[in-house]
Amino acid sequence: MIGLTYSFILLPIVNSLFIFLIPKKRAELFRPLTVFLSLIPLGLCLYVFLNQNLKTSFYVVDKFSWISAYGIDLIIGLSGMSFLLVTLNCLLVLLSILSLNENHSFSKGFLSSLMLLQASVNGVFLAGDLISLFIFFEALLIPMYFLMGIWGGENRRYATIKFILYTVFGSIFILAGTIYTGVLSYLSSGNFALDFDSLSTLSITSSQSKILFLLFTFGFLIKVPIFPLHTWLPDAHVEAPTAGSILLAGVLLKVGAYGILRVSIPFFTEGFIEYQFLIATLSVVGIIYGAVVAIVQIDIKKLIAYSSISHMGFVMLGISAGRYLSLEGAVIQMINHGITSGALFMLVGFLYERRHTRRISDFGGLKKSMPIYAGIFLFTSFASIGLPGLNGFVGEFMILMGSFPTFNVLSSIAAFGVVLAAIYMLWAYQRMFNGELTHEDNKNVLDLNSKEIVSVAPLLILMLFIGLYPSFIESYVVQDVSIIYESINNTLGLSK
Amino acid sequence: MSQIAEAIGFNLIVISPTVALVITVLILLFFTITVETSLTVKKWITFLGILVTVFCVFLKFGLFLQNGISSYFTQKILLDEFSLFGNVLIAMILFLNFLPLWDTSSKLNEKTSEAIILILMSASGFFLMVDAENLIMLFIGLEIGSISLYALAGLNRSDKLSNEASLKYFLLGSLASCVLIYGVALVYVSYSVMSLYDFALALAYTGPDIVPLTTFVGVLFIFVGLLFKIAAAPFQSWAPDVYQGSPTGYVGYMASIAKVASFIVIARMCMVSIAFILEDFQTFFFVVILLSVLIGSFFASVQSDLKRLIAYSGVVQSGFILSGITSGVNGTSASMFYLFAYILQLIGVFTIFSIISGKLSSNFEMDNIKGLIKNNRFLGISFCVFMFGLAGIPLTSGFVSKFILLTNLWAYEKYFLVSILLLSTVVGFYFYLRPIWIATIEKVDEPVETLLIKKSEYLLIGSLASLTILFGLLPDTLINISRWVVQNYL
Repeated sequence: MIGLTYSFILLPIVNSLFIFLIPKKRAELFRPLTVFLSLIPLGLCLYVFLNQNLKTSFYVVDKFSWISAYGIDLIIGLSGMSFLLVTLNCLLVLLSILSLNENHSFSKGFLSSLMLLQASVNGVFLAGDLISLFIFFEALLIPMYFLMGIWGGENRRYATIKFILYTVFGSIFILAGTIYTGVLSYLSSGNFALDFDSLSTLSITSSQSKILFLLFTFGFLIKVPIFPLHTWLPDAHVEAPTAGSILLAGVLLKVGAYGILRVSIPFFTEGFIEYQFLIATLSVVGIIYGAVVAIVQIDIKKLIAYSSISHMGFVMLGISAGRYLSLEGAVIQMINHGITSGALFMLVGFLYERRHTRRISDFGGLKKSMPIYAGIFLFTSFASIGLPGLNGFVGEFMILMGSFPTFNVLSSIAAFGVVLAAIYMLWAYQRMFNGELTHEDNKNVLDLNSKEIVSVAPLLILMLFIGLYPSFIESYVVQDVSIIYESINNTLGLSK
Repeated sequence: MSQIAEAIGFNLIVISPTVALVITVLILLFFTITVETSLTVKKWITFLGILVTVFCVFLKFGLFLQNGISSYFTQKILLDEFSLFGNVLIAMILFLNFLPLWDTSSKLNEKTSEAIILILMSASGFFLMVDAENLIMLFIGLEIGSISLYALAGLNRSDKLSNEASLKYFLLGSLASCVLIYGVALVYVSYSVMSLYDFALALAYTGPDIVPLTTFVGVLFIFVGLLFKIAAAPFQSWAPDVYQGSPTGYVGYMASIAKVASFIVIARMCMVSIAFILEDFQTFFFVVILLSVLIGSFFASVQSDLKRLIAYSGVVQSGFILSGITSGVNGTSASMFYLFAYILQLIGVFTIFSIISGKLSSNFEMDNIKGLIKNNRFLGISFCVFMFGLAGIPLTSGFVSKFILLTNLWAYEKYFLVSILLLSTVVGFYFYLRPIWIATIEKVDEPVETLLIKKSEYLLIGSLASLTILFGLLPDTLINISRWVVQNYL
């Protein structure tokens, strides 16, 4: 298992260097090679799936002594939830490379950056201590900086710097929390043990727990993003290249929620109980706000970006409710949102390559010229709205049902988010695909070719599969969720 | 004779780096004045001189293993961990900067030997400075070093900016030296001691409560003189102008060597001499650190000249290093790590600048690095590595140094300081990423012209960049070294 876990982080780095070293003359080799190379980590994921021994809570796989004078180790480990997110990441990287258009697939810098991004995101999900979590959390800014900066849209400079500064501003809170935890653990045990095992036994007072919870959670919430801290997201999504958007929505947003689930709640539960209502309120505001703003968007990519704020609000609502069902729903919704929004961004990318516009009013009647595309788009929209039988329904239903006993008013309001989702997605679909072909350009738009269908098909299959058989995913997260739930329950029991 | 030698602590090994440099200078001077010698010969003489100096530093380690902490020449020269660390750093700076220094000097035509002599003399002075136990010795070392640097800044006489830099550096620098020597005099007035160790003993003898006011003022003045050299605010005003005006090839050397020597001396003073009354200077240092971080961050964000940007960012970095040094033993060890990592990045950045702009140029506008990644991929990537390192992104040595420094500060319960420093890293991200944007991302309209660089420059920059990453991934050795420096005070 050691080699396997390392390979999720090291293989993409090696791949990225390998691609970078191929001379520019052999540009036609870039994409086939990258597709092949990124199949390897995904293949490893499938291998683990077949082995079935990963339905566990977090356990340490390997340690690496980093600063022995301070007793700091870098630790990697695995759990069911981490593994699901790693698989999602590997899958989305592969598909986004498959779906690349000609401009990007001939640029080795682009492909290398994607691979580096994959490595650092995998690192976040596999990190077994606070330091390595932070290292990977911040390291993913470097590939993202170049992906957005070099290959982004018109206004990319503003969007990139905003994205970087927001994330860095959040990450200094995480760093402060890490340092504080380290010092506390030094005072109690004599070394800076920051691994998850020793953190769970670390005794901290209630006020320390609250401060630490705020420090960590604030940093992670910027990444989620939650309502008042969300403004970087629409800019970043609109300016990022398609592959960047897919990964940004698909996995980068999950990094924040993952951090809260892995660090903030289990270790600083008292702080969580203190602030859970605040987070839930902000999430519900985010759900409604994101959906309402999405309705009035004229740019389809921005619409999906705002819908991401709404969907991630559901995740945060589920997490903050702290019920078993809602926590499980939140994890499942994280995976689902990764799949659906990844597919939506990919589809919008296909359309943009053909028409070089994203304004909804520039389309209309596309169903006539692109029937396959319209069908796939409708299917994905349904999944995003949460139509029963597709994946979106499972997570949102579990979240709403699970969080009702804790926050009955808030979750009732949040339920309107689902209705609003139907409005913005279906209305956008109607304006883009139904009706007459009003624009000349839209008449000769080519439908999806086989390459594009192949790159979006796995996501469609997953949408249906998870919608019909959600317990497959659920079985992987049971252990993780029950540990989080127990820590909440124990603390609640103690305080009563 | 030998008894007298023993009585005064005569030992050539302990000053051997200085002696080696002075002998090299004399040989160069001889060849310059008497026989017509080709530049290649002089280059080899200089390089050999530097190699011998590096070797002499190793000899000092042998002496240290034999004698431990000891003082020589009637308490003028000191051999302790700080001086050894300083010796290693100065020798390293000299060695790593040899290429840009020589290339710059060889462009000066008539004045090549003059420049090299100045450089070697300044290094010999700073060697003396970090070795000094006696405060007068410290002053002499500082002056030998600084005066050579003043001249070095103005060597490109045809450039107005270079003249301005030299004059500014000289006037402000001598003012700082005056303040420092006045401080030394005041310390002598209070206790009739000149030795750093005796000073500590005298303070311990009187006790911290009845320390005369002259001592406080004296120590404060000594610190002001030293803080000037490390360009900590509010004594930073010379740094941007001098960095901008001086020949680019010299700036990396000038910036790093003065900082290293002064930081070592400040660390030793805080750790040894005034350890008993360090508490009383906390407010002073706090203000200096706060101002350095604020002024440095603000002005670095608005610069359009890259050398000025690095100068102001150096003000911020000085604030960081100072915050560790003034807070205690573990903080000092973290600062020593920080200093080492920072010096490597600084030298790397300025070597790249000197390659791009031509060695003698003074201004270095942001546009000069436009399209660097297209002109020379290697330089572009190394530049990014150094900038990421300065910004403190994980997987570079910059992150490790910031992390351990802030951890120690937090352990000393300096929460406010930690928050300020953390916030400054966010601003740091803004101004360090801007040059990277221009070097790698900004579209270039003009046709690409490939930037050819020498193999030796590849080797130098490549090793500096890989060290920056290596110390980020495997910092253990360097951290142990930095803890060894302060082992006596733990």
